[in-house]
Amino acid sequence: MTTKRIPVIDGLFSDTADGTRLLGSRCASCNVPYFPKSSLCHNPDCTGSQMEDASFGPHGTVWSYSIQNYPPPPPARYDEPYKPYALGVVDLTDGLRVVGRMAVDDPESLKAGCKVELVSEPLCTEEDGTEVITWMFRPI
Amino acid sequence: MRDVAVLGVGMHPFGKFADKSVTDLCRDAVVAALADAGVQWRDIEAVAAASSRFSGGKGWGLNGNDVVEDMGSTGIPVYNMSAGCAAGGNAFNVGYALVAGGIYDTILVVGGEKMPKGFIQTSGVEEETDPEFLRQRCVGMPGPSFWALLCRQRMEEFGTTEEQLAKVAVKAHQVAVHNENARFRKEFTLEQVLGSNMVSDPLRLFEICPVSDGAAAVVICSAEKAKQFSSNPVWVAGSTVATMSFDDGLPRGLAGVVPSGKSFHSEASTAVERALAQAGAGPQDLDLVELQDNTVYYELAFPEDWGMCKPGEAEHLLETGETLPTGKMPINPSGGFLCFGEATTAMGVFQVCELTWQLRGEAGARQVPDAKLGLGQTLGLGGNGTAVVLKR
Repeated sequence: MTTKRIPVIDGLFSDTADGTRLLGSRCASCNVPYFPKSSLCHNPDCTGSQMEDASFGPHGTVWSYSIQNYPPPPPARYDEPYKPYALGVVDLTDGLRVVGRMAVDDPESLKAGCKVELVSEPLCTEEDGTEVITWMFRPI
Repeated sequence: MRDVAVLGVGMHPFGKFADKSVTDLCRDAVVAALADAGVQWRDIEAVAAASSRFSGGKGWGLNGNDVVEDMGSTGIPVYNMSAGCAAGGNAFNVGYALVAGGIYDTILVVGGEKMPKGFIQTSGVEEETDPEFLRQRCVGMPGPSFWALLCRQRMEEFGTTEEQLAKVAVKAHQVAVHNENARFRKEFTLEQVLGSNMVSDPLRLFEICPVSDGAAAVVICSAEKAKQFSSNPVWVAGSTVATMSFDDGLPRGLAGVVPSGKSFHSEASTAVERALAQAGAGPQDLDLVELQDNTVYYELAFPEDWGMCKPGEAEHLLETGETLPTGKMPINPSGGFLCFGEATTAMGVFQVCELTWQLRGEAGARQVPDAKLGLGQTLGLGGNGTAVVLKR
């Protein structure tokens, strides 16, 4: 029996043959990346408004990271009993600085500047066993 | 533009006051500010108030209206300003602008708050178009983790140690012992701070400000009016409000652009830069600063961001006592948010009170010797930043 997996929010990321990608958009005029998708460009120095779908990842560099030592308030989701997790800010090679959980067993192994790749991993499990998936970064 | 004076200041002590309403807290602060200014309630021509999300205000942030009804409805205009944790600073700026612009002569600025227990909760908005909702649902990144990310980045860039972070808290409590309005007036040892629970690694419980109940009020007026009451008032040399810039290096939602330079709190830097320019002063001219120390990180990073010292120098200045009231770069002689706790919307007004006491030489055992020029700074949700420069 295979476990059912659902994304935490639809349309934010997808798994492709060569890894996980974030689904966003990019301004055709000024090249600014947006995640999630944006229907307009918000760059005050850009007068263009033609947005193109874009996918981001999978490679990036850790800018900073932290460990969430206490259970976060709603609408965050986690399985009981609570287990602290690592999160980080990652600079993707395509110019997007993005937040996400870090898929690491030992948070002590994290360093700013370390190389990571996008993955999709369980955030929590529903009562019926369905896994709720989000994007994460795994050191490579 | 007319010169604006701070005529009177008042504060309700910070803490937890189960038996008092936010209106009770504000009343104490307002009555104290009026008495300090030597004016009557009837002399107040307008009120600029910080809007609270947490207490009073009839659920609409009408906190200034609560104050006016409580003091006695005189028909005066009320401006309720909303800017998250920067609302107090924002209200001060609006009051300042109305006096400087010649609309009114005498204005009351007030901020008061009763905070719910525990860490500040998210907005409750559950829409997939809301960036804050997405950040919490998909990642789980409450406020302190934001500060933790900034702090870890500094540790990796400058080699800041956990001991140095803890020393900021030790220093804050060392000065707050002398402040009768502070909530925590007990000295902490380095071991006690380092022994407190990790909240968002690398930040510990005693390195993050709690939430508090409290209120602060100030009476500001035109130079002409000030002459009737004081021969030597404190002056507003600069008052500004700013919002974050598009290329800010700290994503407030899920993502941003990888920035070309290092700018994490552009709303704060911009407000401070403009306030100093307005005052005709440089960052090195400041005799003291009251900055928003939600966490120890800010007390190290902000003075560098604003050019008060060199990047990476803050830890050394801390460890050699230079950030104490008697040092060459005094930071938060009040004890700051760490020792008061954050009564969110009151904080910008709280800072004006402390700066005024310092510039008058009335700060007792926490006095910065011969203080002539002081800076206050707040920042709030939505990328709001405020700054005020007061001078003697």
